[in-house]
Amino acid sequence: MAAAIETINLTKTYKTRGGARVDVVDNLDLHVEEGEIFGFLGPNGAGKTTTIKMLLGIIYPTSGEGFVLGKEIGDMDVHRLISYLPEKPYYYEHMTGMEILRFYASLFGIKDDEKCQRLLEKVNLASDATKTISQYSKGMQQRIGLAQSLLNDPKLLFLDEPTGGLDPIAHIEIRDLILQFREEGKTCFISSHELSDVERICDRVAIINKGRIAAQGPLDELLKGGRIEITANGLEEPFAHSFRDTLPSAIVSFSHGRLILDVPDEIDINPILDAIRDKNGQVASVIPRRKRLEDLFVETISEDDPKRAREDAARKKEESK
Amino acid sequence: MRVILSIASTTVGEAIRRRVLLIILLIGVLFLAVAPGLTVLSARQERTVLIGMTLGIIQLTSAVIAIVLTVYMIPNEIERRTIYTILCKPVQRWQFLVGKYLGAVAALGLMMALMTIVLVLVFALQQGVQQMDQLVLLAKAPAMFFVQMSLLAAVAIFFSTFVSPLVNFFLSGGLYLVGSLFNSFFEVISSNPNSPALAKGFATFANTILPNFANYNVQNPIINPGQIIENESIYYVRVTIYGLLYIGILLVGGIVIFDRREV
Repeated sequence: MAAAIETINLTKTYKTRGGARVDVVDNLDLHVEEGEIFGFLGPNGAGKTTTIKMLLGIIYPTSGEGFVLGKEIGDMDVHRLISYLPEKPYYYEHMTGMEILRFYASLFGIKDDEKCQRLLEKVNLASDATKTISQYSKGMQQRIGLAQSLLNDPKLLFLDEPTGGLDPIAHIEIRDLILQFREEGKTCFISSHELSDVERICDRVAIINKGRIAAQGPLDELLKGGRIEITANGLEEPFAHSFRDTLPSAIVSFSHGRLILDVPDEIDINPILDAIRDKNGQVASVIPRRKRLEDLFVETISEDDPKRAREDAARKKEESK
Repeated sequence: MRVILSIASTTVGEAIRRRVLLIILLIGVLFLAVAPGLTVLSARQERTVLIGMTLGIIQLTSAVIAIVLTVYMIPNEIERRTIYTILCKPVQRWQFLVGKYLGAVAALGLMMALMTIVLVLVFALQQGVQQMDQLVLLAKAPAMFFVQMSLLAAVAIFFSTFVSPLVNFFLSGGLYLVGSLFNSFFEVISSNPNSPALAKGFATFANTILPNFANYNVQNPIINPGQIIENESIYYVRVTIYGLLYIGILLVGGIVIFDRREV
């Protein structure tokens, strides 16, 4: 499959007021395939928005190369095929929804009110087309943003926090729209902190930290390493504890004849279940627990930054209280 | 051109709704309306003072509007991220900058036209319809002010590509004052054979490089009919061409800087 985005050692360096050089994006190698939904994750200040701005040709890389839809970044022909929805954008408040679409359409040389109307219907704003942007709620502004980003029927969409700060209904609507884009064959490059959304809709992800790629790949591969929880009743304690020797990677807990065995998902659990049955135990449940994106994110960032790991652990502890 | 006009028309729509500009305009119009009440002189003097005062009000109000309108134009687009939704489309940076400038000039023109209408009404009410032949002469001054303010807007938009709005406010305002008040002073020094070489060099440099806003202050011949510009039409065409050339240079300079600017 062709690459929608390809970067090779893409670097952006800024000078601080003291004269020191800071690599906001550091030798970034990204690969996004056409037709996929790609999640671009990272903590605040990791370099996500800087990367997007470089890919859009709004800021210039210090070194390295980048290609969007096969052409060098900044190529004006590519701008006809891409679109961008920034985080918390501002649209001219005096204009109505329809006027906003007409304005952005005119930048592509499109003069097609029917198309604007269709897009308003697509984002459920047809009945609010004559309201000014100042009368729109946050969710409606986000939807008009999505509508303007679809005017040129883009092959590649850059979405920066598309569901940030929206209520649950608006959140689901935007998520469904993004899934619809994939069905239409569009490529979506999503930068988001909403990890549950990313996990639900993205095909592949990259996690960026301090300007560098910390993890990149298909979500299924990255989330390998889940666990399986086996619960069995009617067992003797010595048998239960024997798993500590035979399965060092297992977490064993035993109480009042009930064994809870937590094992990595790559282990074949059939011999374990057979052994339990041989000892006249009753298998109550076998629950596979997939590794969550949140776990992967915290793990990846923590490996990169022990201080942050401590802070995350403290936060999780607080949350569990 | 289509892209530039789209950006320009959107800019006009936004500018004429900006409260701060409308308040400045309202203050200007109010001053114009009460101006006749402020003159307590003889009829001849009254007319002279009235014209001088009202044209001064228009010029000052227009200058403040021109600066306030343009110094925030580009920084606001960046801060609100609207620029990203525009520049990621097939829009070149120069088209964006020129569109913004033309929109600012058009909005300025509308506001100045409104003030000119009020000026004409005030003059007609105060002086009577028999004095209306003076109106054509009177309308020339705001027309020249419009060129002057377009030049000032170009100065402000040039600075807005690389300095903050606050610095830009003082830079553009300062340049307007220097260009309006000190040009003739620089001219005298540079043409005086007795001036010290250093002062002469500085005055010649300043006179050449700074925009000559004083060119457009043509109210004096109206107030004092004895003081007439020789070959008026040629003068107006010459200073208009000067203004357009200067605006062109400033826009090209702004485009060059804005093209490499990180937004």
